[in-house]
Amino acid sequence: MEGSDGSEQSGSDQSESQRRRQLDRLDREEAFYQFVNNLSDEDYRLMRDNNLLGTPGEVTEDELLSRLQQIKDGPEQPNSNPSAETGDATGGSEDSSNGDTLLDWLNTVRRTGNTTRSGHRGNQSWRAVSQTNPNSGDFRFSLEINVNRNLAEQQAAAEGGQETPEAPGAPGEVAAAGVNAAGVNAPGVTAPGVTAPGVTAPAAPPPPVPEAEAEPEPQASPPSPPQRRAQRRARSPSPEPRRTRARTARSRSPLSLERLDGLPHLRHAPRPMPAPVVPAEGSSRTRQHVPSRQSNPEYEAQPPAAEAAPMTEAPSAGPQEGEAGGAEGGAGGRRPPTIMLDLQVRRVRPGEYRQRDSIANRTRSRSQNSNNTFLYESERGGFRRTFSRSERAGVRTYVSTIRIPIRRISDAGLGEATSMALQSMIRQIMTGFGELSYLMDSDSESSDSNRGAGTPAEPTETLNNPEGASVPVSEEPSVRAASAGEARTAERDLEEGLTSGPAGREGGGGGFRARPRPPISMEEPSSLPFLRLAHFFLLNDDDEDQPQGLTKEQIDNLAMRNFGESDALKTCSVCITEYAEGNKLRKLPCSHEYHVHCIDRWLSENSTCPICRRAVLVSANRESVV
Amino acid sequence: MQRVSRLKRELQMLSTEPPPGITCWRPEDLVDELRAQIVGGDGTPYEGGLFTLEIKVPERYPFEPPNIRFLTPIYHPNIDNAGRICHDGLKLPPKGAWRPSLNISTVLTSIQLLMAEPNPDDPLMADISSEFKYNKQLFVENARRWTEKHAVQKNTGSLKSQDHSSSDLKTSRKRDSATSLEKTEKKPEDAKRTCL
Repeated sequence: MEGSDGSEQSGSDQSESQRRRQLDRLDREEAFYQFVNNLSDEDYRLMRDNNLLGTPGEVTEDELLSRLQQIKDGPEQPNSNPSAETGDATGGSEDSSNGDTLLDWLNTVRRTGNTTRSGHRGNQSWRAVSQTNPNSGDFRFSLEINVNRNLAEQQAAAEGGQETPEAPGAPGEVAAAGVNAAGVNAPGVTAPGVTAPGVTAPAAPPPPVPEAEAEPEPQASPPSPPQRRAQRRARSPSPEPRRTRARTARSRSPLSLERLDGLPHLRHAPRPMPAPVVPAEGSSRTRQHVPSRQSNPEYEAQPPAAEAAPMTEAPSAGPQEGEAGGAEGGAGGRRPPTIMLDLQVRRVRPGEYRQRDSIANRTRSRSQNSNNTFLYESERGGFRRTFSRSERAGVRTYVSTIRIPIRRISDAGLGEATSMALQSMIRQIMTGFGELSYLMDSDSESSDSNRGAGTPAEPTETLNNPEGASVPVSEEPSVRAASAGEARTAERDLEEGLTSGPAGREGGGGGFRARPRPPISMEEPSSLPFLRLAHFFLLNDDDEDQPQGLTKEQIDNLAMRNFGESDALKTCSVCITEYAEGNKLRKLPCSHEYHVHCIDRWLSENSTCPICRRAVLVSANRESVV
Repeated sequence: MQRVSRLKRELQMLSTEPPPGITCWRPEDLVDELRAQIVGGDGTPYEGGLFTLEIKVPERYPFEPPNIRFLTPIYHPNIDNAGRICHDGLKLPPKGAWRPSLNISTVLTSIQLLMAEPNPDDPLMADISSEFKYNKQLFVENARRWTEKHAVQKNTGSLKSQDHSSSDLKTSRKRDSATSLEKTEKKPEDAKRTCL
């Protein structure tokens, strides 16, 4: 193409390096066009649909080629990747933890619909269930981890020091602590959790975690998320944080994301738990839950209801659970912590605006009603999120709602799980969990303080929590106070998160955890026995009245041809480049032509011809007449 | 990036056949920013002024419109104190009318047109807009005054001098001082901005 070495026209004083960079880009761009033009239609579609093409000049031809290759044999990968770590995990198949594989995994899940995996490792048993609604494209994933505290303690005691350090790194097996950390991280930290899609995180906690965390970063590009992630990351590596988290997890023992299910689960959990029986029990427990979960698929469809459910439940469930908790408390550290994580991604359509809002509103009003709630709302990086935490009668509920505009993702949306969509989801998830983790951290702190007061040094954190958890939650007042304190902390944390960079955060957070945190002197019965985490990812197509693009099918239906020698010289008005022989052109119904890749990109977000502004679809009908 | 090659071509076009009354160039050391100057049209209150604009080219250009604002203070119903321009060609559909077949040159031309013919029905500065509608005389006076104050180069001879960068600095400094002036002139800050 002409211009590659471009005359630098007026601003010819660019620095050498800049110029060189530009030249490189231009070269690559040219290679890109060549590459695109040589692709078969199928390949082109494949790459485009998976957003592998990127922007001209962005990647080298080799890279494109390898991407193509990858995508071609890609689909199988996920399954065949049982990572080493999982090895021990009993049931599970695992996956790995690379960004790509993660994506693949998610893709697979999507495709296959529902998956259930379970296994146990050491004192942990886990179960991951994923469900996809093929019609709506909604996706739901839940993960439950049961940790047998006793075992954990023992192990922890035994391994005590080492694990923590190890956890970050590679720790294949990891002791309880490590495990916990991992488990916790999953939920709390984000990346891991998400990815984990259960599979990895739970089973082979340690290894996956680190990796998982790493992955997300590359993908993430959005402004705000990065920080968080970074922080998280930063944190996880350091032993301290991990521990805390681990603690937290324990203390909170049951993390149930499932709202509805939550109750049933919770109930189940406690009972079985008393028995230190460990793995076996754990797994059985898990299974029980699962069914209930599956039965609930409905609620995915109705967010509001779902939301409401959790909240409502809390109260009603409260008592029972409280009892259970109390009982368990009596049992002391006996109750194996259960971490439940539930994640839902659903797409919100225009008509659903109301509903979506109502979710947030409900959450808000609810939280406002009770003293033990904490609500956090923010809008960062273009994502609106609502986060609330409430505590009631021994049940702690976290509800996070994040709205993700998926405008640009693709018309097919979730159903098609384009990598973009996935990435943004993941990013969201991670971010969301990051928030959770903040809260959790703060909680842990408080529990720590308790711990410090009550129980001197236990095998450090690992075990501590459990104990804390065990403490009955009967005293409302104290609880409240505690929660208030926590809330505050949480807030602070969040703020910090917002403002300070990773480093700062780490320092701050770490410090807190480290104890300096004024042990919120609440003699609070420490943590509540039940913890629910509900996460909503609402993908909305039309955040702003953005234009709707065409679907891939619609785009593919438009005429395409190759530019031939005989054609008069013409220029693509999108890239302002003259067509070269062999270029693939797309001809819109209004007879305006463009490079295929140029116009496809525009049409994926818009529906009119760039030149005449005629609606491509409408005129398409007309064109049939023409 | 598509943006790079496209920009390169556009700049070429801008330098070879610039639209009348408009210059556009890439300042040193700025990869995705351009500067432009628009000469105030004859017969408009902006006559005699030279208005500098900043053009930021987004990553996704040309699939997203360039981000353009006035650096030189201008008294105009559709341009706010920060120099932001209310113009549908600068926004994506459905709100706006940007499309990839437009380019910097065409957009600048339409801004030039907007200067000559404000659109008081889609105001960014409500007060100026109503002034324009109901007291045109006053509006013209004010606009002239502003032009005189901020946009007229003292040594007119070197108006289109080659050292754009320095004139650039000058104008941006001017904008700062202009804002402070505005305060003393008690510009209503609460002016309704329907076009943002």
